[in-house]
Amino acid sequence: MEPTVQTNIKKQQKFDSTWTIARKKFMKRKLAMISLGFLLFIIFVSFIAPYVTSDDVTRIDMQNINQEPSSEHWLGTDRNGRDVFTRTLYGGRVSLTIGLTSMFFVTLIGSTVGSIAGYYGGWVDNLLMRFTDFILTLPFMVFVIVLNAILIGMGKVTGMWSLIIVFSLLGWGGVARIVRGKILSEKENEYVLAARSIGCRPSQTIIKHLLPNVMTTIIVQATLLLAAYIVAEAGLSFIGIGVPVEIPSWGNMLMEARQTDVLQNKPWIWVPPAVCITLTILSINFVGEGLKDAFDPKTTK
Amino acid sequence: MISYTLRRLLGMIPLLILISIVVFSLAKLMPGDPFSGEIDPNNTSVEYIEEMRENLGYNDPIPVQYQRWVTNLAQGDLGKSTTYKKPVMDVILERLPNTIFLAITSLIITYILAFTLGMYSGRKPYTLGDNVIATFNYGGIAIPQYIIAIVAIYFFSFKLGWFPSNGSITPGLEQGTWEFWMDRIHHVVLPAMTLGLFSTASYTQFLRNDIVQNSQMDYVRSARARGTSESAIYNKHILRNSIIPLVTFFGFDLATLIGGAIITETIFTYPGIGMLFINAIDTRDYAVVMSLTLLFSFLTLFGNLIADLLYGVVDPRIRY
Repeated sequence: MEPTVQTNIKKQQKFDSTWTIARKKFMKRKLAMISLGFLLFIIFVSFIAPYVTSDDVTRIDMQNINQEPSSEHWLGTDRNGRDVFTRTLYGGRVSLTIGLTSMFFVTLIGSTVGSIAGYYGGWVDNLLMRFTDFILTLPFMVFVIVLNAILIGMGKVTGMWSLIIVFSLLGWGGVARIVRGKILSEKENEYVLAARSIGCRPSQTIIKHLLPNVMTTIIVQATLLLAAYIVAEAGLSFIGIGVPVEIPSWGNMLMEARQTDVLQNKPWIWVPPAVCITLTILSINFVGEGLKDAFDPKTTK
Repeated sequence: MISYTLRRLLGMIPLLILISIVVFSLAKLMPGDPFSGEIDPNNTSVEYIEEMRENLGYNDPIPVQYQRWVTNLAQGDLGKSTTYKKPVMDVILERLPNTIFLAITSLIITYILAFTLGMYSGRKPYTLGDNVIATFNYGGIAIPQYIIAIVAIYFFSFKLGWFPSNGSITPGLEQGTWEFWMDRIHHVVLPAMTLGLFSTASYTQFLRNDIVQNSQMDYVRSARARGTSESAIYNKHILRNSIIPLVTFFGFDLATLIGGAIITETIFTYPGIGMLFINAIDTRDYAVVMSLTLLFSFLTLFGNLIADLLYGVVDPRIRY
């Protein structure tokens, strides 16, 4: 009898956690792994840019304007004589910082509102969710543009931070709604009752017991948000109302393409940021999809 | 149905009031005078501003100002544009037909493409054609609209010279003639395609998945068993069911079109309300900015309402 019991225990010990299963499933997806690698590479390269490049991104060099790619300037220079390659790296820094920071704050606000509404229910839920619905009915782009203009007009924050603030203020509705739905179904479980009965405060129950169980949903949402904010930042800067022109960002560099001459004859100025944005967004989407499948208990591979 | 519509309309009233309050508060935060447009924000002389503020009643209590603004709004008075020196209403009405024209063209292209591609893909899933369409859809959904727009301008306008890259009309054409309308269509095709690409891609993929799913259903099997021809099964039986969720997208499309139109119109310098909005932000023409913000918000709200109502119209299984 004894040996069988022992093997049983051994088998139970081998049981993987949700995170291990997800990691194993994710590692098997080639496209998602390649995308993740590319994404980490882009982030790494952008953030070490100031330490490895010697060119000054803001200095105007009238002797070297609009040069084609050469060994000295890998991707040529723009109409102010600035090195496009260096600017692309710096631009990535700004665009990714805005994307990542906005993603962090939006997820934070959304999860907080959603979990409070879901956990307490009743009038708290009603009030918070009506407010969320209201935020979601506002046309996102329009209010981002208006609020951003107001914040910049006040002159207290720079273009980059005003975008982050505006995105965070207007973007949390979707996350809040999803987290609330998840928490609503999750709090019916007995472990929540157990946690409450041993005297956990609501904040402890939410943070320690409920949130880890909805974390997978939040992570997938956050990935999609990262892509959305990088797209939004570049779009706004592209039409000239996002990050101020002195600071290079992918959107700002793309703005050069609005001049017919640059768009038509000097593709080396606008192609690098366009390619960077496209590849980054595509790989974020692939990673997001990979994560979604990896966290889904229904998929086996 | 009628009672539901009425209930929904009544339910919109608090939202409309709330939106007007938000827009009013935002306007108060803006420098200068966003309501009547009488104070020029570029004239920074203190005495001038003070005098104008006093004359226009900006030192009144906030609720009084709000009430005055709403009353004017209800009477169609949106103030005066500082850039165009005209009532905001006239400026917007001048540009609005262009945007509506763009939006309708975009919708027509979207629906034609989405139906053709989606039905093809759904009928022949997992074939080469389906995979090509799926790749196209993935690109259309993931790649930002403005990048597609500049690449489209680069190839179709500059390299191939098929479409003009900006404007809505060649100057000098007589209004109302055949050439006039053909020229307008010629100008609107490229912006409309880029504007509708995202919806096209998502509709196609949605329709395809729905058709594939529906073709496994029992009613399709019994239709086949009765000897109904394949094309009749797909075009009549399945399409009728798959079309339901697609129709409701129309309402949400209004919101997507608004957000997209702002960027697309600016790229193509297409003189619609989207470009007017960006120009007004640039020139600090706050009366225009605020009126357009209000208009965009109302349109979005209206779009959501249409989506909800259409749901009941196309799907008889839904009862209110």
